[in-house]
Amino acid sequence: MALNGDDEDFEWEPPTEAEMKVIQARRERQDKISKLMGDYLLKGYKMLGDCCDTCGTILLQDRQQKNYCVSCQELDSDVDKDNPALNAQAALSQVRERQLASQSPASSQSAELNGGPSSSHIGVSVPQPRPEHCEGAAAGGRAPLPPPAVPSTSAPPPPTVLAPTQAEDAVLTKLRWATNQLQSSASLEASIQLCSLISSCANSLRSLKELSQ
Amino acid sequence: MMRPVEHLHLEHVLQTVGALEAVVLRSFGPHGGQVLFTRDTGQAMLSRSGTRILTALRLEHPLARMVVECVWRHNAKTGDGSKTFILLLASLLRMIHTAASKDPHVSLTHNSKEAAKAATARLLADKLLAFALDELDDLISVGVVPYGCVLSWKDFTAKTQSPVQKLLSSFFYTRLGQSNCDFISNLLCEMLTHWKFQHDPPSGSLQFINDNFPALHTPVLGFPISCSRLIEGQVIHRDFATPLTEPDGGSVKVVVFTGHLQPKLLNAGEVLELGCEALGEQENRGNGTSILHYSTFAEISLEYVFSNLQSLGVSVLLSAVKQSAAVLSLATQAEICVVECVSEDELSLFTHVMVKPCSLVICGSGEGQTEQYAAAFQEAIRMVLTTWEPLNTRPTTASKMVIHSHKSTSLHTGDTKPTYGFPCQNSVLEPGCVVPAGGTFEFLLNHALLQHISVCDNHESFPAASQLLANALLSVPRQIYSHSPRYFLQAQAMVLGSVQNHVHPFVMLDSGLESVSCKYHLVLAVLQCVTRLFQIDTMLHTHTRLNTQSRRLANISWEDTEDEAEN
Repeated sequence: MALNGDDEDFEWEPPTEAEMKVIQARRERQDKISKLMGDYLLKGYKMLGDCCDTCGTILLQDRQQKNYCVSCQELDSDVDKDNPALNAQAALSQVRERQLASQSPASSQSAELNGGPSSSHIGVSVPQPRPEHCEGAAAGGRAPLPPPAVPSTSAPPPPTVLAPTQAEDAVLTKLRWATNQLQSSASLEASIQLCSLISSCANSLRSLKELSQ
Repeated sequence: MMRPVEHLHLEHVLQTVGALEAVVLRSFGPHGGQVLFTRDTGQAMLSRSGTRILTALRLEHPLARMVVECVWRHNAKTGDGSKTFILLLASLLRMIHTAASKDPHVSLTHNSKEAAKAATARLLADKLLAFALDELDDLISVGVVPYGCVLSWKDFTAKTQSPVQKLLSSFFYTRLGQSNCDFISNLLCEMLTHWKFQHDPPSGSLQFINDNFPALHTPVLGFPISCSRLIEGQVIHRDFATPLTEPDGGSVKVVVFTGHLQPKLLNAGEVLELGCEALGEQENRGNGTSILHYSTFAEISLEYVFSNLQSLGVSVLLSAVKQSAAVLSLATQAEICVVECVSEDELSLFTHVMVKPCSLVICGSGEGQTEQYAAAFQEAIRMVLTTWEPLNTRPTTASKMVIHSHKSTSLHTGDTKPTYGFPCQNSVLEPGCVVPAGGTFEFLLNHALLQHISVCDNHESFPAASQLLANALLSVPRQIYSHSPRYFLQAQAMVLGSVQNHVHPFVMLDSGLESVSCKYHLVLAVLQCVTRLFQIDTMLHTHTRLNTQSRRLANISWEDTEDEAEN
């Protein structure tokens, strides 16, 4: 549908499947934000004329004159739940899924995966980090997400890999500890350091996985 | 220090309206909930009215305030549809945003994709408004009005099952709940019947009641709503300033004064020049003329006035201003009752009404509740006024639409002449037209718009606009039936089935009624609001107040002055 009649439509192509998912996820997130904002407005919060610096959402102000951003302070914590870089549970579940996938006789799957592009396809069991988190993660000093790794179904697990498994356990323990600390931390500096610890734990986990392949 | 200039993004608009939508959504529809407002003083108020909820929110965002202002204005005109306004607005904005994102023309004039999106959205909004102003009333008259029912004002009485009573009853049902809606609608019907001017069109008497409603109703606290009733006469909302003397019988003579009977001697900045040319030279010598002489003269003339009033048999004095103590004491002596500080509206009603007046006593248990009932009454009167207001349009476009719809029906039925008759083929929106409530208007208009696209997509320039509007309209019934999507489909099938069979859905559905004219005004108002929103390019933040408060803000009792102090 060309409104201006110029011949610049060739620049626009219909969105791909992945882009549609991104658009859909973004829309859902916007709906959630609106609903939360509506709830807060009914609770007596004031809708300000300013926007949040990190995410661009409209700011709310409570009775104590404290500013509140719905998406940064409430919604992103939901997204963090699924991100293995920041949550021990998600990391654990991702690791378990990979182990499960590697133990099952998945020869046909491996053939498909070997043939397909190496970086973008992921097994359906692994949760994909939400795209809107990519936008938020770029700002605010958070570590960038690790790219989702290919499930290692191509090769059977090596028979005796005790050292890497032990290392994984140690890293996971540290990850869990760091997450607990993060939940109860009140200081900004400590939170930032804990976050970087968690992301380096996740990086280590990934490297260990690659080692064990 | 001025805060930086902020460029408007489509997302901001969507987010603002989305938040307002989330606020009203839970109260929308016949099963919607009520919002409890509490103040720090402990006062509480329950309300389902969209306007009241929105105006009570604390909003500093200029877009949000603008939208609430539009809602308030629409409600002040038609009395209905504030929540539907927000729903339709949000739905339209989302669709325009989607359409603009799909095809943002990044040409040389726009330096960013955002700007291109905004420009496309603005263009779409303008097209929508142009389309609506041009063709919406024709579409409604052809696609909606034949399936509704035209209520006649002439044979409207206060009988229980009259259609006007049904219209009012469904109106009050959405506002005040099920328990009292029949009683209240009966009461209002009685009042409207009383004030019906025999040979005038209904809009005349309705306008009169609407304008004088503050003077025609009296709120009474401490009684249940069922104690409300109509009483004969007009209630002056002031107490007597002098002891009441019972009239002897017969008629009571009343004199109305708009000024002071005893003029004030000196106001600030005035100069009183004393001197009397009628008196001879002897009195003017020395200090013969003094302030004492003047005040004695004033008192004597006042006594003269009262003896005149007494001789005329006047027993009540209505005054627009506060009279002096001398006037009051003289009135007491003369056994004349005085009522002071009567409002202008009441005085003008009193002096100008020719027929025997009747007014409404509205009872409620608390102040907030009584005020809500009174507001509901006034909104109902506005709704009825909008319904019966005549709207005239050009006969040529109406006939053009008639031809088109003939074509479409003949394609379906194979007949050469229509099998249903139009209520009126010249003036477009027949006054008094109603359709069943529950989304019927939206289904019918959606169908008419889609038909319009299929028939005239060759030479008309608005196919995209009518498609957008058609899709957006369905969001309203979808929300009404949000608890069960199956009912939505059923309702849609029922309405479309009656369109196919040329039967009135009015006969089949046993729901309430709603006014077509109010809905038409609603759609237009929403489109105008959309255009206004997209005309904004930039928001400038300043630290000082730029303009005076709008009328609306002065009326809000729940919004407070602390906002202004913070600004």
